[in-house]
Amino acid sequence: SEQGGACSVLYLSRLHLDDLSLDHLTDSKRQQIQQLHLTYNRLSFLPNAVCFLSNLEYLDISNNALTVIPDDIMRLTNLKTFVAKNNLLDESSFPKEFERMQVETLNLSGNRFEDIPMQFLKMTTLQSLSLGGNRLKNIPAEIENLTSLEMLYLGGNLISSIPPEVANLTSLRYLVLCDNRIQSIPAQLNKLHSLLSLSLHNNLLTFLPREILSLVHLQELSLRGNPLVVRFIKDMTYDPPSLMELAGRTIKSQNLPFSSCDLPSNLIHYLNLASECPNPKCAGVYFDSCVRHIKFVDFCGKYRLPLMHYLCSPQCSSPCSSNPQSDSEEENSVPADRLQRVLLG
Amino acid sequence: MHKSLRSLSQRDSNSTAALEMEQTELMKPETLEDLIKTLHKLFESDSVNVEEVQSIMESYKSKPHEWMKYATFDQYRYTRNLVDEGNGKFNLMILCWGEGHGSSIHDHTDSHCFLKLLQGQLKETLFDWPDRKLQAGMLQKSQQVLLENQCAYINDSLGLHRVENVSHTETAVSLHLYSPPFQTCRTFDQRTGHHKSAKMTFWSKFGKRTPYESTVSQENN
Repeated sequence: SEQGGACSVLYLSRLHLDDLSLDHLTDSKRQQIQQLHLTYNRLSFLPNAVCFLSNLEYLDISNNALTVIPDDIMRLTNLKTFVAKNNLLDESSFPKEFERMQVETLNLSGNRFEDIPMQFLKMTTLQSLSLGGNRLKNIPAEIENLTSLEMLYLGGNLISSIPPEVANLTSLRYLVLCDNRIQSIPAQLNKLHSLLSLSLHNNLLTFLPREILSLVHLQELSLRGNPLVVRFIKDMTYDPPSLMELAGRTIKSQNLPFSSCDLPSNLIHYLNLASECPNPKCAGVYFDSCVRHIKFVDFCGKYRLPLMHYLCSPQCSSPCSSNPQSDSEEENSVPADRLQRVLLG
Repeated sequence: MHKSLRSLSQRDSNSTAALEMEQTELMKPETLEDLIKTLHKLFESDSVNVEEVQSIMESYKSKPHEWMKYATFDQYRYTRNLVDEGNGKFNLMILCWGEGHGSSIHDHTDSHCFLKLLQGQLKETLFDWPDRKLQAGMLQKSQQVLLENQCAYINDSLGLHRVENVSHTETAVSLHLYSPPFQTCRTFDQRTGHHKSAKMTFWSKFGKRTPYESTVSQENN
């Protein structure tokens, strides 16, 4: 249906179209069209007529048989939303110059992408990117270039790990990684301060990083269909720290000053890699020698999620850690006498 | 004992069914309004004929322009939109599911639950009530994919279920009838069988937005 005036929508879905001619429209009518729906047709190519709708802002060509997007799409300089779900597109389908498009919403779910095309990773205007239900094997580190991204939907792919660079998408509100093969979540994800919803269901997670607790704005977290551990058995094996580690720990915890004239650069680099032990009762650091610990916490509507963090030694413990029957546990809220009982075993 | 009605699409080829329909004075609901009126009649008495209600709900062929005003989607979770309060006998609501949205495993607080697909598809996974000796978590009993216009039924004696839109490309819209109406239900942790009470909130009532008290998730999903 067409409306005159400010916003003009042309609805041409479910018409068995294998091509489209808009010659019957005057030039001025064609300039008026801002939204075009061509879903559920029989298009195996994008009709040329579409590329000459110079004021087009919204194009939906989902559920067709497109294998390629023509160079002429670059003529659509006002295009803000491009939806082409359920077609036959892959990473070689898009023109090289596509990165120059000022598109804000790109939905290419249900296609045949095995990689995210390089062009997409340069589109700094992109606010919403959907590549659900494709064949992506990984997320490239260059994803961090999409600094305007608020929504990233990558559910239903073959992704096995999340690069820490995802954490640099500081505008991200909604991150969907469900139905993949992810075994762990990088702790850096706690840098996603704007994150409101995180979808992780149907993956291979056994625990989550404890850092997830700092996502204070998180309203939704889906975790069904993950082999999350119910019980944690402390590692009985522990490799004692090396002499270098012990020296490094002493230097850091005693705050011994050092400069480039005191130490070779490789040792300076090593000292800068120190991680602070999260136990607030311990002022220590660790380098390579650490102990994995899991705490069960009620979080975001879920019961007893296994949250993992490293401690600097088996003697160290985080507050309120040893009681597996305890329910929701607050940070730093354990009374001193209980902590003493824990430390004394 | 009231005989269950045959599928109304077979009406023309089966005179017995046609006769039964005359007797019960029920017409195939052409519109959502017809459906609601018919449901009011069916729920006038205190006893519920499950097959009859399921058949009537299934026979309404979904017309989006009739329910669009109730169907608002939330980017992060499914929404519940109250359509009719059934004279206190039932709650009729429309649920809108974005791609990947799913519910917790939940019960139905001793009420009947009818679930009809208006658009898209939903996966229903059935679970038994967890027993005390739960070792390996709650195991699914069965699952089915509900297609457009299909109507499923569940109550607590049949077990618990989880409902999800597993599509990454399509949204889903479903019509739910709960009788008697209820405001809280139990949500279950699949790994342990532990349950928690959840208050059921509405995104909108009668087409008008009703803000939540809290935005934090209550779903164990």
